[in-house]
Amino acid sequence: METIVRIPTPLRTLTGGADEVSASGNTVGDVIEDLERRHPGIRERLLDDKGVRRFVNIYVGEEDVRFLDGLKTALKAGDQISIVPAIAGG
Amino acid sequence: MSSPSRARRRALLVGVGGLGCPAAIALARAGVGTLGLCDDDVVERSNLHRQILFRDADVGSSKLACAARALREWAPEVDTRVHEGRLLPGGAVDLVGQYDVVLEGSDNFATKFLAADACALAGVPVVHASAVRWIGTALAVGRGGAPCYRCLFEDLPRDGAPNCAEAGVMGPVVGLIGAAQADLALALLDELPAAAGQLVTFDGRTGEFRRRGIRARADCALCGRRARIRSIEAHAYAAPESTGAARCAANDAGCAS
Repeated sequence: METIVRIPTPLRTLTGGADEVSASGNTVGDVIEDLERRHPGIRERLLDDKGVRRFVNIYVGEEDVRFLDGLKTALKAGDQISIVPAIAGG
Repeated sequence: MSSPSRARRRALLVGVGGLGCPAAIALARAGVGTLGLCDDDVVERSNLHRQILFRDADVGSSKLACAARALREWAPEVDTRVHEGRLLPGGAVDLVGQYDVVLEGSDNFATKFLAADACALAGVPVVHASAVRWIGTALAVGRGGAPCYRCLFEDLPRDGAPNCAEAGVMGPVVGLIGAAQADLALALLDELPAAAGQLVTFDGRTGEFRRRGIRARADCALCGRRARIRSIEAHAYAAPESTGAARCAANDAGCAS
């Protein structure tokens, strides 16, 4: 199943500038693995050995995956993943 | 819309840059009676496209002095107060405690987390905001302190944080986020229950605004059931500055401040 992933500005260097990409998988973790195959280097920006990096938030729809089932969160057709990283600037 | 009660309200702007400038104007025009300004920087020419309190003749001068002058011209009825220097661990709780709401628009994570912690300890609502290139975020934290900035971003990034190293920032995006930050701050001052815990994100390339509620994390170090942060410890805010890993490296490229 293909899922749309919204890519924030700081990570678009890894997606050729695309603000939205597709990746396949039945869970959030699967989608990130597929993202890594298509856009090498992105997994390291999102995950560390404990899971989702502490300065990154991954949402399925409007819900933070930390409050769902983390990387095991199951996806259904039409779900959209968005990434909100900590940024400092203004 | 202003109201007599707002004239008695006090707002502190931590960082008078691309976010603080439009936010200050919005608050002054909305009738907030006292505006405190906290910054340690000077005006650079590369700031002028987005830091709308400053003019060409201000280049090289203190942001605080220039912003205070501009605000007194814009809104002489507002009591504008300057707090020289950046927000530092010593005195942070006392400073934010003098205000009814804090607008944190600084350019580095150390100050963001320090403001989050100081406001929680002082029981003062705070709105955090950031903008890099085409994206911006604003988060409102209510008087109760939960959910908070640390519920969203647990601690200072120490390695590999997405930063704005090759970034810069779009002036209109910062202006929009500064306005959203002021909007959330006014809602907190007016004690509108819908404001607290709201995260606004804006993508200037797609024009997409999103507003979503965040949840408090039970294990949050600042507002969780077993909160560990009971006081401000200076060393807790030092690491990113010393390693440089998470600092907004584009300061020199006009990204921030």
